[in-house]
Amino acid sequence: MNVFALRSLLPVALVLSLAGCTTLPGVRQPAPPSPKEATQLAVLASPAEVHEKARACQELAAVAGPASVAPLAALLNDEKLSSYARSGLESIRDASAGEALRQALPRLEGRQLAGAVNSLGVRREQAAVSDLRMLAFDPKRGAATEAVAALGLIGTPDAAKVLQDVLARGPAELRVPATHAALVAAELLAKEGNASAAKSLLDAAAKAVPAGDLATAVRNRKAALTARR
Amino acid sequence: MKLSRRQFLKTTAVAIGMPTLIPASALGKNGSVAPSNRIVMGGIGIGPRGREDLKAFLSNPDVQFVMIADVQETRREVVRVMVNRQYNNQDCQKTREMFDVLGRDDIDAVLIATGDRWHAVASILAAKAGKDIYCEKPCSITLRESQELADAINRYGRVFQAGTQRRNVDNFKFAAHLARSGRLGKIHTVHAGILQLDESHKWLAAEPEPAIDVVDWDRWLGPAPWRPFNKDYVNGRWRGYYDFHGGAALPEWGAHTIDLCQWGASADDTVPVEFEMDGQTIYGRYPSGVKLVMRRAGFRGEGNWVVPGTCPIRYEGSEGWVEAADSGKVAVSSPSLLEPGTPAIMAGTDPSKHVRDFLDCVKSRAKPAANADVTRRGHIVSHAAAIGWRLGRKVQFDPVKETFVNDDEANRMCSRARRAPWHA
Repeated sequence: MNVFALRSLLPVALVLSLAGCTTLPGVRQPAPPSPKEATQLAVLASPAEVHEKARACQELAAVAGPASVAPLAALLNDEKLSSYARSGLESIRDASAGEALRQALPRLEGRQLAGAVNSLGVRREQAAVSDLRMLAFDPKRGAATEAVAALGLIGTPDAAKVLQDVLARGPAELRVPATHAALVAAELLAKEGNASAAKSLLDAAAKAVPAGDLATAVRNRKAALTARR
Repeated sequence: MKLSRRQFLKTTAVAIGMPTLIPASALGKNGSVAPSNRIVMGGIGIGPRGREDLKAFLSNPDVQFVMIADVQETRREVVRVMVNRQYNNQDCQKTREMFDVLGRDDIDAVLIATGDRWHAVASILAAKAGKDIYCEKPCSITLRESQELADAINRYGRVFQAGTQRRNVDNFKFAAHLARSGRLGKIHTVHAGILQLDESHKWLAAEPEPAIDVVDWDRWLGPAPWRPFNKDYVNGRWRGYYDFHGGAALPEWGAHTIDLCQWGASADDTVPVEFEMDGQTIYGRYPSGVKLVMRRAGFRGEGNWVVPGTCPIRYEGSEGWVEAADSGKVAVSSPSLLEPGTPAIMAGTDPSKHVRDFLDCVKSRAKPAANADVTRRGHIVSHAAAIGWRLGRKVQFDPVKETFVNDDEANRMCSRARRAPWHA
């Protein structure tokens, strides 16, 4: 390895070390970052201004891989930078990005918690269904509405079961958001060949919100489902 | 049973009988519209452009505008005064909180004319609240938002009209008619005028935040990522910044001109399968083989267009061509194309017919000219082309899946995280 190559890896090593990514027994190490990614990770690891770090996160959203997960996840609790970091985490295909969001949930509060929950929904993170269920049934955490919306975006049969539970046994104030989420999930379920799960979910929504514009939307979706069959 | 507003008015009129002192105007006599036939409206974020739309709405006697929500006190007060002057009363309410508008059962429809960062999210929230929506353009800040917006409108069965009013402006309609009716022969190329592509990631210098009742900066930012306050942004100079103005400024005019090209090429149900860059010009190719040329235009006549005016378009077929722009004029390859008559001159920025189209559809539940589905695809073209420009290379697009083909780098540019608590 030549001197230049070694020098280009120094910021990365620094970033990974600051983000707690030094070698641990049994822990898979992420692949080394690309040069573009390494440049931005070096900014995140530096004492740069908020604006520069925000910009680095935006650049990472286009190029980041597993090596960026820990440095981005470290910003999830940052009031100013969390949404920039989430753009990066939402775009990384590797499962470690979803896992990092999930692992962050217990330590986040308020908007930062809501944001991480939203990102899990955008990523359709199936492994997060049980975490989201806990948030949906725990009003003290303050992210119940976001949790049901994320379950709707995940839209798997498991997520649908949780939504059905919320619709049947959840707090009254969650019925409307859970019905909105049920509509989204029903579309995904139907599209992905789970029409019967979609119908069960819509039946639960129809019971939870029996009248009004939202009930009409549920009836129309059920009718579309039947027509499609 | 829950009654709709109109049903309520009808039912109560029968049940309690008519009082003797109701003014004729309230009953729809003297040329006025009876309350049961009026469309009650609210506004969300109405600045200078929104006020042009509002003026068009207020000129319709079957509209009753009752409430304005805006994060800036000066703007909500201007709208309140404007509405009250129109109705010669003091009834229009103002609020900082858009949920005050969305929560009112008596409001049927909303005019959304915030900055671009809010258009899709506010429209989705309005659809969830059961409102019909007239939303200024560009209606989305990312490709993904274009999809989410249309999906939500269809999910909730709402009437949606994008503020791409040129679909209802006479000279553009005439040009599209020539293209779609076959009078130009087989269409092979359509041209959309676009502004210079650019996007800035700069932040203006931080200034002290005003009191929340003067400017609610947090709500102004909304789903956009955090940055420090500067009065320039809220005074309308937010354009050009990546966080507030999606698609490298391409959708600014592209929302109109690309939309018109989709229409003229009879391609409202699809989008180009590839985009190729040549400096500031972007070439798209539809599945039919028709070429879409997105090329420079401007406020000072840039781009060698035949017809003067902003937002120019041109359709070329095997038998001739037509060009139109905001001057209200058209140019054609042969005078015979002007028969059966030149369209009346109408400025491309005049939204009056477009607004009327929306109001008629609110009543009939039909789809207006710039409905959610055509808006979805027109905006997807803008965003996809801008992503190609940003990457500086040719990109392939799947018009059915609405994703780039085998291009992770491009697909990653289709969405951005929204600042919490905002989500679709």
